Amino acid sequence: MHNLLNYILWFPVLGMLGIVFIPGKQENTIRYWALLNTLITFGLTLVLYCKFDSTVGDMQSLFTINKPWIPSFHIFYALGVDGISLPMILLTALLFFLCILSSWTVGKSVKSYFALLLMLESTVFGVFMSLDFFLFYVYWEVMLLPMFFLIGIWGGENREYAAVKFFLYTFFGSILMLLGIIALYMVSGQTEESFNILALSGGKWSKEVLNIFGFSLPFAKIFFLAMFVGFAIKVPVFPFHTWLPHAHVQAPTAVSVILAGVLLKMGTYGFLRIAFPIFPEASIYFSSAIAWLGLINVIYGALCAMAQTDVKKLVAYSSVSHMGFVMLGLAAMTVQGMNGAVLQMFNHGTSTAMMFLLIGILYERSHHRWIVKPDGTKGFGGLYTQLPRYSIVFIIAMFASMGLPGLSGFISEALIFLGIYQKFTTITALALFGLLIGAAYLLWMFKRMFFGPVLDEVKKYNDMNAREIFYMVPLCVCVVVFGIFPSPLLNMMKASVGKLVSMLAGIHV
Amino acid sequence: MPVQYLANLSLYVPELVVVATMMGVLFLESTYRENEKNHHFVFFLTLFGLLVAAVSVVANFTVLPTEFFTHSLIHDSFGNLSKLLMIFGTMASVYLSYQSREIDQDLKSEFSAIALGVLVGGMLLSSAHNMLTLYLGVETLSVLSYALAAMRKNDEKSAEAGLKYVLYGGVTAGLMLFGISHIFGALGTIQFTEIKLALEKVDGAKLAILIPSFLLFFAGIGYKIACVPFHMWSPDVYEGSPTPVTAFFSLVPKVAGVAALVRVTFSFFTVNVLLNHTWIALLSTIAALTLTIGNVTAIGQRSVKRMLAFSSISHVGMIILGVLVTSDEGLRSVMFYLISYLFMTIVAFYIVALVSEQYGNDYFERFNGLASRYPLMAILLTMVMFSLSGVPPLSGFVAKFNIFAVVIEKRYYVLALFAALNSVVSLYYYLKIVRLMIFKEAESSEEIRGFGFVNQALISICSVPVVLLGIYWERVLMWAQGAKLFVP
Repeated sequence: MHNLLNYILWFPVLGMLGIVFIPGKQENTIRYWALLNTLITFGLTLVLYCKFDSTVGDMQSLFTINKPWIPSFHIFYALGVDGISLPMILLTALLFFLCILSSWTVGKSVKSYFALLLMLESTVFGVFMSLDFFLFYVYWEVMLLPMFFLIGIWGGENREYAAVKFFLYTFFGSILMLLGIIALYMVSGQTEESFNILALSGGKWSKEVLNIFGFSLPFAKIFFLAMFVGFAIKVPVFPFHTWLPHAHVQAPTAVSVILAGVLLKMGTYGFLRIAFPIFPEASIYFSSAIAWLGLINVIYGALCAMAQTDVKKLVAYSSVSHMGFVMLGLAAMTVQGMNGAVLQMFNHGTSTAMMFLLIGILYERSHHRWIVKPDGTKGFGGLYTQLPRYSIVFIIAMFASMGLPGLSGFISEALIFLGIYQKFTTITALALFGLLIGAAYLLWMFKRMFFGPVLDEVKKYNDMNAREIFYMVPLCVCVVVFGIFPSPLLNMMKASVGKLVSMLAGIHV
Repeated sequence: MPVQYLANLSLYVPELVVVATMMGVLFLESTYRENEKNHHFVFFLTLFGLLVAAVSVVANFTVLPTEFFTHSLIHDSFGNLSKLLMIFGTMASVYLSYQSREIDQDLKSEFSAIALGVLVGGMLLSSAHNMLTLYLGVETLSVLSYALAAMRKNDEKSAEAGLKYVLYGGVTAGLMLFGISHIFGALGTIQFTEIKLALEKVDGAKLAILIPSFLLFFAGIGYKIACVPFHMWSPDVYEGSPTPVTAFFSLVPKVAGVAALVRVTFSFFTVNVLLNHTWIALLSTIAALTLTIGNVTAIGQRSVKRMLAFSSISHVGMIILGVLVTSDEGLRSVMFYLISYLFMTIVAFYIVALVSEQYGNDYFERFNGLASRYPLMAILLTMVMFSLSGVPPLSGFVAKFNIFAVVIEKRYYVLALFAALNSVVSLYYYLKIVRLMIFKEAESSEEIRGFGFVNQALISICSVPVVLLGIYWERVLMWAQGAKLFVP
C-alpha cells in the first residue's frame, strides 16, 4: 500500500517502454497493450479510492512517499494524495482509459501515438501527486513534450502553429513559476523544507520585501502574480486564453479530451495546492480581481462560443466559460464555493470529455465540423432522425454541460453560486447571465445540427457502434449519478477543502 | 631555484604532453607522401596524446593549489576541471574532423596539429596567474584559431571568416594589452596576487585610471567568449568554418575564456567596493545584452550552424550571470553549465555535421522529415534542442536552474527575469528545427551516408549525459563543487 502512488505514477511509463519493444507493424497488439495498461492503472486508482480515508484533511499518511532526490538542493521525491487531488487522479485514470478506446481508429504511426499518450498520463499523475515543488515543476513541464507532439503530428490542418503556440505560451507561464519557486527556496532559508509544498504553506512570507532598483515591493504579492500567470495560462483565465481555441481545434479527439478534461484542471489545481496555501494574504488581496477575471471568462467565453461556426471551437470556448465558474468558486474562498469549484473541476472533466468524444465520433463520419459551412450552407441537419442513439448521448452531455438540474453540472454550479454570493453579489448576478448565454449557444447549436430536414450527406452516417457506446457509457453514468447523488465526490474532498478554507479564513490582511 | 622549477614541472605535464603530441603530429604528417589518403596514424596519435593529457590532469587533481613558474601560473582544481573539459572538447572535434568530408584529406592532420596548439593556449589561459601569461594564452588561442577558421583555403566563406576573425582579434588584443599596460602603470605589478594586494590600498586617483583600463582589459576576454559587443565575428566564423571546426570553436576557446573571466573576477574584484560594483554592473549589462541579442538574432537565421552560433552567444550570457554573483555556488553552477553545454554541443554539431556534409549546406530545410528516415537521430537532436532551451528533465534545464538559483540568491531579480524570458525566446527557434524534423515530410528518401552504425552509436553515447544530468545530477554537481578556485 505504501507504494501505491508509485505504481500509479510509473505504470503508464512501464506501458510506454513496453510499446517501444512491440514492432510497429502489430498495431492491434499496441492498442490492446495500451488499453490493458490504462485499465490496470484505473483499477489501481480505484484501490486508492477504496483505501482513502475521507475524514482526514491532510495528506493521507498511508500513501505519502518522501525520498531524497537531490540532497544538495534539498529536493525530494515526495508524493502524496488528499481530497483535492484524489478526484483529479480518478478523473485522469478514467479519461485516459476511455481515450485509448476512442483512439482505436488512429492510423498514423500508431506506436508513437500510444507511447506518447501513456507518457502524458504519467506526467499528469505526477502533477497531481507531487508534494515537492521542484518535482511538481518538472512534471508540469515534461507534460508539455507529449502534448506538443500529439498536437503537432496527429492534429488538424493548422497543427504546427497550434502546437508551437501551446508550447511557447505554457512555457512562458511556467518559467515565471520557476522563478517563484527558486525565490521561495531562497527566502525560506534553503532548508530541508524549502521545496516542500506543505511546509511552505500557511502564509509565512507576508513580511518579506523585494528590493528592485531601490523600490521595495511586497514579496508575496509579486510572486503570487508570477504563479498566477503560470496557472492562469493553463486554466486559461481571460487575457491568457488565446492558445486554447487553436490547440483544441487542431488536436486529435483524444488529445482534446485530455486537454479539456484534465490539463485545464492542472491550472486550478495549482491555485488550490500552491498559490492559495503559500500566499494566502496575497490571494485574499487579489481575490476580487480573480473573481472579476472569472466573470469575464464566463461571459466572454460564452459569447465567443455563441459566435462559432465550428462545433469543436464552440465546445472549446464553452470550456473557457466553464473554467470561469471554477475561478469564481476559488475566488469566493468559502466552503461552498471551494467545494463547488473542485466538484466543477471533476464534472466539467466528464461533461466536456463527452462533448469532445461525441464531436470526434461525428467527425469520423463527416470529416468536417461546421455547423454552418464557410459558404453559408448548413453543415449538419436532421442528425436526430439519422443518429438516434448518438443524439441521446449528445443530449445528456449537452444538458450536463449546460447545468440542467439532475445532471452533474448543476450541483457544482449551484454550490459555486452559493459560495460566491456571500462575497461578491454583483459578480454573482452578472455571472448568472453566463448560464443563460450558455443555454442559448448550446441549444442553438443543437437546433441547427440535430433538427430540421435530413441533409443528403447526413443520410450516409451510421449510428454509434458498440465500441463507441462502450466508452460513452461510463461518462454518462458519471454525469447522471453525480448529478443526483454527488455525496461520494463531496465526501472525498470535504475535509481537505475545509482545511484550506479555514486556513484562508484565519488570515487577516 | 632550478630544482624548484623541475619539481613544479610535474604540474605542467598535461600541457607538455599536448605540445609533444602536436610536434609528433607535425612530424608524422611530414612523412606522408603527397597524395597519401590515409591519415589514421595522425588521428590515433592525437587521440592517444589527448587521453594521456586527460589522465595526467586527473592525476594532478589532488595536488593542493600551487603557484609555480615564478608565480606566473597557478595550479588549482578549477583550472584542472576546465582543462579536462577542453581536452574532451578537442577529442570530440578531432574525431568529427577525422570522419568529416567537409575537410580535405590532406588538411586533416593539419587540423589535429592546430587544434592541439589551440588547446595549449586554452590550458595556459585557464591557469594564468599573471597578466602576461594571460595575454600569451589569449594570443596563442587566437593566432592558431585564425588559421583554423581559414582552413578551407579555396572556399570564399572560410577565407572571409578567417579575415574577420583576424581583424576582430587584432583590435581586441590590442585593447587588452593597452589596458594591461595601464594596470601595470598604476599598480606596478602584473602578478595576480600582488595586484590583489595593491588593489586593497588603492586610492581614488588610481581608480580613475584602473576602471577604464579594466574595461579595456575585458575586451580581450569578451572577444574570446564572444559576448556582446564583441560577438560580431562569431556567426560568420561559425558559418564559414567546416562543422568540426565550428564545434571546436564553440567549446575550447569558450571554456578557456570563461575560466579566465572567472579567475579575473574572483581575484581582482572582490577587494575594492567601487571596483566590484563597476565590474558587476558591467557584467550584468553585458549578460543581459548578450542573452537578448543572441536569442533575438538567432530567430531569423536560415543556416542551422549560424543559429547555433547565436544560441551559443546567448548561452555565454547565462554563464556570465553565474560568474557575476562571485560566490562558490556561482562557480559550481558555471562549471555545471559548462559540463552540460559540452555534451549538448557535441551532439548537436555531430548530427548537424553529418547532415550538412551530405547536402553541402546546413539550411533548416535539410532537416525536413529526418524523423521518418532516422528516428533515433531525430529523437536525440530533439532532445538536445529541448535541453538547450531548458526543458526538464534534461541537463540544460538543470544547468539553467542552477544559474537561476545563484542569481536569485543574490537577489538580482531583474536579471533572473531577463534570463527567464530569454529561455522562452530561445525555445522558439529550437522548436523550429524540431518541427521540421518531426512534422514535415522528407524532401527526398536519399540516404545520409554519415549515419552509419558507428556514428549513431557514438551520438547515442554522447547524449546519455544530456538525460542523465537532468534526472540525477547530484554527483556531477558535487564534482563541479569540488573544482575550487584558488583565490589569492
